[in-house]
Amino acid sequence: MEERIELPEAEGAERKIVGFFCRECAYAAADATGNARVSLPPTIRSVLVPCTGRVSPLHLLKALADGADGVYIAGCLVGQCHYREGNLYALDRIEFARALLESVGVEPERVQMFTMSAADSPKFVEAARKMHETISNLPPLERK
Amino acid sequence: MPLTARGEAIFDRLPAAAPRASTGSIGCEIVRHEELCIGCARCASACPTGATRAGGLFDPMQLFAAPPDSRRGALGSALRKIARHQPSQPIEVPARVSSFRSIVYDAEECIGCGACARICPTGAVEALPVSAEEIAADARARRGEAVA
Repeated sequence: MEERIELPEAEGAERKIVGFFCRECAYAAADATGNARVSLPPTIRSVLVPCTGRVSPLHLLKALADGADGVYIAGCLVGQCHYREGNLYALDRIEFARALLESVGVEPERVQMFTMSAADSPKFVEAARKMHETISNLPPLERK
Repeated sequence: MPLTARGEAIFDRLPAAAPRASTGSIGCEIVRHEELCIGCARCASACPTGATRAGGLFDPMQLFAAPPDSRRGALGSALRKIARHQPSQPIEVPARVSSFRSIVYDAEECIGCGACARICPTGAVEALPVSAEEIAADARARRGEAVA
């Protein structure tokens, strides 16, 4: 968790959004998006996880604390998790992280979850664009 | 409520006490250090009376008070960086989030057996033994004598 990777700034990427993508569905959808040469918003940084059940509230809040303006998880449709119920855990942890943010006065929309199937690359693009739009409409996250 | 083994052992050493006559609880006084708690709820599963249990709420202030090298402390320092104000009240915890629940402790139901303190992996629960004077005073009070 302590390792840091500095990424080159892309144009229009003043805001940063970290996406945690499930290997079984969202990442496959992202691959299909790339093959179809559909462009994603430049703010999105992707992180591959074997299952969205791996993402803990610490991953979400640490990303926000260390430079991201928004975080989201893209995982399998409910009931279609490769590991049976990893995405249900992710949904509950998202809810918990949102409650934590709300309790300290930060907009809970900065943390979101989307579900899609592996073949549904339009939905993946839609999720990325929706996240980009949400974060662009919010002020930059201030840090101490 | 039965006497704990420890309570009985102390009773046996006290000539002035009335052995086995007590029906009240005698044992340890339980002191909880919430900042050290990691939410594993082992104390709740070890508790014979249900006085200690994992609640459905979580107090975010516990994150700020936790030691910085713990998982809760790491979450707390991340939250502190982006916090705009202090959390004012406990938050509801969804069903599948298990390690972020504040432990509820009910002193009324506690028999002071100390099982929670023995099983706690971080030393967040402390069982303080009751002194012999307190037990003798308790025994005298039960026999109707004036407490000196």
